[in-house]
Amino acid sequence: MPRRSSLKVGISGVRGIVGETLTPQLVTTFAEAFGTFVGAGSVVVGRDTRLSGEMVKNAVFAGLLAVGCKPIDVGISPVPSILIKTNRTDAIGAIAITASHNPVEWNALKFVGRGGLFLNRYEAQELLDIYHQSEFSLVEADAYKPITKDDDPVKEHFAALLHYLDVEAIRGRNFKVVFDSCNGAGSVFTPRFLEVLGCRVVGINNVPDGLFPRNPEPKAENISDLCDAVKAEKADIGFAQDADADRLAIVDEEGRAIGEELTVAIAVKHVLSRERGPVVVNLSTTAIVDRIAAEFDCPVIRTRIGEVNVAEAMAANRAVIGGEGNGGVMVPAIHPCRDSFVGMGIVLQCLAEKRKTVSELVAELPRLVMVKKNVECSTEVAHSTMTVLRKRHTGEGEIDTRDGLKITYPDGSWIHIRPSNTEPVVRLTTESPFPEKAHELTDRFAREIASLC
Amino acid sequence: MEKHDMNGPGLRLLKISAAGVRGIVGQTLTPELITDFACAFGTYVQSGLVVVGRDTRTSGEMVKSSAVAGLLSTGCTVVDMGICPTPIIQFMVRQLSASGGIAISAGHNDSRWNALGFINSRGTHLNPYEGEEVLDIYHSGDFTKRLWNALGKLDQKNDYLPGYFDRLCDFLDVAAIRAAGFKVIIDPCNGAAAGIVNVFCERLGCQLVPINNEPTGIFPHDPEPRPRNARQVASIVKPVGADIGFLLSSDAARVSLVTDVGETISEEYTFPLVLHHFLGRKKGPVVTNLSTTKTVDDIARRCDCPLIKSQVGQSHILHVMLAEDAVIAGEGCGTVAVPEFQPAFDAFLSMGLILEMMARRRKRISQLLNELPRYHIIKEKIYCPPEKVHNVIDEVRDEYRRETPDLTDGVRVDWQDGWIHVRASTTEPMIRVIAESNHKEIARERADRAISIISRVL
Repeated sequence: MPRRSSLKVGISGVRGIVGETLTPQLVTTFAEAFGTFVGAGSVVVGRDTRLSGEMVKNAVFAGLLAVGCKPIDVGISPVPSILIKTNRTDAIGAIAITASHNPVEWNALKFVGRGGLFLNRYEAQELLDIYHQSEFSLVEADAYKPITKDDDPVKEHFAALLHYLDVEAIRGRNFKVVFDSCNGAGSVFTPRFLEVLGCRVVGINNVPDGLFPRNPEPKAENISDLCDAVKAEKADIGFAQDADADRLAIVDEEGRAIGEELTVAIAVKHVLSRERGPVVVNLSTTAIVDRIAAEFDCPVIRTRIGEVNVAEAMAANRAVIGGEGNGGVMVPAIHPCRDSFVGMGIVLQCLAEKRKTVSELVAELPRLVMVKKNVECSTEVAHSTMTVLRKRHTGEGEIDTRDGLKITYPDGSWIHIRPSNTEPVVRLTTESPFPEKAHELTDRFAREIASLC
Repeated sequence: MEKHDMNGPGLRLLKISAAGVRGIVGQTLTPELITDFACAFGTYVQSGLVVVGRDTRTSGEMVKSSAVAGLLSTGCTVVDMGICPTPIIQFMVRQLSASGGIAISAGHNDSRWNALGFINSRGTHLNPYEGEEVLDIYHSGDFTKRLWNALGKLDQKNDYLPGYFDRLCDFLDVAAIRAAGFKVIIDPCNGAAAGIVNVFCERLGCQLVPINNEPTGIFPHDPEPRPRNARQVASIVKPVGADIGFLLSSDAARVSLVTDVGETISEEYTFPLVLHHFLGRKKGPVVTNLSTTKTVDDIARRCDCPLIKSQVGQSHILHVMLAEDAVIAGEGCGTVAVPEFQPAFDAFLSMGLILEMMARRRKRISQLLNELPRYHIIKEKIYCPPEKVHNVIDEVRDEYRRETPDLTDGVRVDWQDGWIHVRASTTEPMIRVIAESNHKEIARERADRAISIISRVL
């Protein structure tokens, strides 16, 4: 297999390995392109805790200043806070310097438009066109603006959360909480948030030094330290974030990871119980969401994987709640973006209002079994494989080809097969009311794909 | 004929030299270019510690961010001194035992410009050989590219003034200056020395009357110390009863002065004045460039000190100063360097030595100037696109071929009663004509002769 390029330029931004493909010059040029795209106004610049962040940030400033923009330096910040600040101030855009869950040697730029949303496909393409044409709106000395430092990245975010949540109800319970922020942006701000909610807080993996102590994805297999800590501390609940503090997974009072899919499920149930309306999730998200929504007579709209896709559909359908099954809760009343803080707040509020434990909350949810598996497959072959599979399995159930292949069977089981954008694998997500069915479907398709790849 | 519309079509106002890179913001001085140069420099100093400082220009943060990103990517740890006069940046390089420094300032150029000035570990500007090496690395694009865990760190430092002024006060006769209780006007042109001149005067016991002393980067006049920019200062000398007035460049490297009677003195005489005083403190070789007033020759001869002339340009003159073990160096643009203090052009040192002279000799500055032999000097600059420079210099050389010209740097011709020097500027797209003579008319005639040849070519 040919070596994959360590530079990824696409609609979600630009990502590369520092010291190889992600050079300061490349970053600066992209920042000039972005500044040219949004115009000469205030641009929020925030970053995650990666060690390369300072270097990349300076390169971003250089590019923005050169085209007459006014950088607002918020330093290390959760990604949702950057988006919300952009939306709620006079900023006309933002650049988030973060490579999410990629390994430490990477870094990346993610571009945000005026409304505090990541650029959609069309906007991102326009930005790329500007970049490729190298026609930037460089300004002369007298049009330069200064860099402004903003020492409170979470100001607008927390103000919105504290307005939305029933703070008094949560405070009254004085929950004991353990959190694991993966040495990422949540390290500084999560304890602050939880303390305002009256919680007793214990943190692990909470040094904001960019050295990831575990795989940043808050999946059950990655958060055993948190599970142990919750047990040891006899805490009411454990929260695991990814390094950007946009995704959230929950650990119950017995130290069991409940599964990252349930974060969105719990949030959907809470929001619909207050306000009915459409729900938007992606094609791989648990069908528990559909069952909950059905109880409230609300429609569920499914989209292609990707926060931007979910956000667009949320706006188009006037959704009241949305998200992605990987732990990304999106509450439009705060902002249509993945936000671990709104997730934490909602879960704590559920516990407070219902006077139940986490495991009791989970027991109330519809029960489905989900299996996730990756099958190695080179990119070139992966896409043709989808076509072969579709042809072979047409007629078995409902087919959805918007993002890979999803087959929904009459008994409610489903499988979603999709090539990864980031690795040479095909991702299988299967769910069924019947555990054996979930495993059987997974194994059968995995073998089939392996034979084709 | 001096100014020219610098926005003509096809004009590339970018000056790359051993001293660094200088250009017009928004046109030739782009962030990527700056980052590339910073990467070249970071590679050259082998990922060592680098001190970075800037003047007050509005584009300064952009240039600094570009440079810092480049330096960090090569593994250099950066100490950011924020807004800081260039001589103090140079001082800090040695204080911190850094591998080098970058001064972000276009000195005497107007506000449209900015520049990177490279400083080596000795705290002086790169000499021509060091500069060549950096340029070679720049052209090769072969920069050190460190991985995520080997990048440089960024630190801030803003408590450096006491250390610098302690050293300066050790070097000067502060007691004498303090006792004299001078009233001093200083115009830092809203550049890097704004606010710092207050500390300078306080340490020397002078009363400061500041003009243009806000670090805004909005230059009320060109930041070039010379009589035409000294009118503001001159107009208040008598009303406030000042003993002297000083003009500084935006990086605090150059100085020109205004006397106690309000006379604006050519920047040509800053160095001769300081030289006149300093050779009384310490004798030794003197270095100047090929375009400086004969007054310097006269003073050096009077004190029996050898005078060595270098090519015009900071990197040349400082290099020769160190190579010849000179005690002092200076240029006709108002710069002075005393290696015993530090091998850098330093306006604070220049001002301090002048005040020391006034204090010890108990004479007014106007009187002290009268002790110097003075000539008539005419300085002109003619706009010349880079591609025509060669032709122009050729023609000029041809014109003076029978008069034994010195061709080290452009064309210099010496006569009994004066000299003329025609050369291409390294900081602007100009041909400089400098003519000096005992007699004004002769200087004018010679200047005009050169200018007519140049105009013919252009």
